[in-house]
Amino acid sequence: MRQALSDVLVELGKKDPKVLLLTGDHGYALFDDFRRECPNQYINVGIAEQNMVGVAAGLARSGFRPIVYGLSAFVPIRVLEQIKLDVAHDHLPVIFIGDGAGFVYSHLGTSHQSTEDIACSRVIPNLSVYSPADRFELKQCLSIAYQNNSAVYLRIGKADRGDIHQSLPNIKSGRLIKVRAAKKIKYSFIATGSMVRTAIDIADKLHNINVWSVPFIKPIDRSMVEKICHNSEAVVVFEEHSRFGGLGSLIAEISSESSPVKILYVAVNDRFSQKCGTYEYLLKEHGLDFDAVYKNIYNFLLDL
Amino acid sequence: MNIKFDPKKLRKTVLDMAYAGSTVHIGCAFSIIELLSVLYKSHLRYPNNDPFNKGRDYFLLSKGHGVMAQYACMRELGWLCDDDFLNYFSNGSDLKGLSDSRIPGIEVTSGSLGHGFSVGVGLAMGAKLNKTDQDTYVLVGDGEINEGPIWEGAMFAAHHNLDNFMVIVDENGFQAMGKTQDIIGLGSIQSKFESFGFDSITVDGHDEIAINKAIEKLWNSDTKKPKALIAKTVKGKGVDFMEDDNSWHYTRLDKENYRDAIASINEGDV
Repeated sequence: MRQALSDVLVELGKKDPKVLLLTGDHGYALFDDFRRECPNQYINVGIAEQNMVGVAAGLARSGFRPIVYGLSAFVPIRVLEQIKLDVAHDHLPVIFIGDGAGFVYSHLGTSHQSTEDIACSRVIPNLSVYSPADRFELKQCLSIAYQNNSAVYLRIGKADRGDIHQSLPNIKSGRLIKVRAAKKIKYSFIATGSMVRTAIDIADKLHNINVWSVPFIKPIDRSMVEKICHNSEAVVVFEEHSRFGGLGSLIAEISSESSPVKILYVAVNDRFSQKCGTYEYLLKEHGLDFDAVYKNIYNFLLDL
Repeated sequence: MNIKFDPKKLRKTVLDMAYAGSTVHIGCAFSIIELLSVLYKSHLRYPNNDPFNKGRDYFLLSKGHGVMAQYACMRELGWLCDDDFLNYFSNGSDLKGLSDSRIPGIEVTSGSLGHGFSVGVGLAMGAKLNKTDQDTYVLVGDGEINEGPIWEGAMFAAHHNLDNFMVIVDENGFQAMGKTQDIIGLGSIQSKFESFGFDSITVDGHDEIAINKAIEKLWNSDTKKPKALIAKTVKGKGVDFMEDDNSWHYTRLDKENYRDAIASINEGDV
């Protein structure tokens, strides 16, 4: 997924000299290709994220197409007000890439972990929010973000969970993508980012479940969500994000207005990580590992 | 165009609108009147008097609290009409109490402080990359420079040799709740900016000739450094009972002190 990110950045940079890549001293080897191929379009702004976003706004006003890269804990969280006032308010075409979302930086602790970003970003007017699950979705999200010519937050979480798709024909912005089709639909799993893999793995163990990936959190095709909720006896929403304000809340907002359905939220509870450990260890701490989620869902479906 | 941007007239416009809208921040507007007068009269280039012209210079009022002074200048330019002033703060009107980028002629939305500086730095860098001769001016308050992004932007501007960028600091010695020296002492603002890699001059912020000269001198400097003009100003300048009285950050005009304020400005004519 990271190589795909680098590839698309290089592709965009070479295609459009107005594309500028700004980083707040993050990214390391990720930008080797971009720096080699587009050396004059790369700006390391320093450890100064707030200024970085303001500068990006100024550059966008001057006709450039800034892509602002940071860790999700900083972009968008630390710079939320700059995104709101300097960029989104004026419909400026700045793409924000928030990397390492969720518990990717499991060993580094709370400062680098990010489970609030979807909730915080999706309430900002004029700002789209994308959350790809694999390299295919990432490529399409980024090129759609570029074509949109407006402000987008692109969330990148755990990047090495393998491909969800074998290939992906052009998708329309806002659409949910069916990644596992059951013959008979009883339940639907709706997942985003890293948790799409978990959703598929669990659906494989159960029966009559469709799994949907949500690369476009905002704007989302509401009628698709309504249809999915309408056709399901129950829905499980998966995200490596707080249970407040993220994809689960979004699905509940839509379904409660037109097609109420019982929903189970597989998400991060209202707590910070306690311990240090591997990514898998932290998923376990938060009850988001395969076994815990499977048990949770099994009981939920049993109680219906 | 030969517009005078007469400070007395600008101040009266501010009083008229503050009275019409029963609004605050009069002192914040009065300290920057001469600075704006000089900028609009002699430095800011708007080809065809068009606030959207792609080749314009950029003026960013980062201290959005002084926006009434900018509105007054924009009226002189014909970008705002009398109704905008008579109906200030009425329901459904456009002009807000803090600067809003959706008003033609206002580049950034401010009021939350420390934003305009970085956006201006980005505009200055954009002008360099586009190889245009556009200059960027950002006016900040002295209280505003408490904000961290100002100094992030200052380092960035100096590192990238943005000699087409000028920050103007309205050093009126006050912020919302009191004197700057009692809240967060600023020391020498000029030496702060110099140490961050700026060419810097301190000037009497109400002396139009001195302001003009200082701006020209900064632009004519041989260095590749960004510029900082530190303007020593008086909050509430121009109305005797408002000068250096920070209560005019928040006080609203009533009929009596509106009349007295206009009289005070007129007396200054003598």
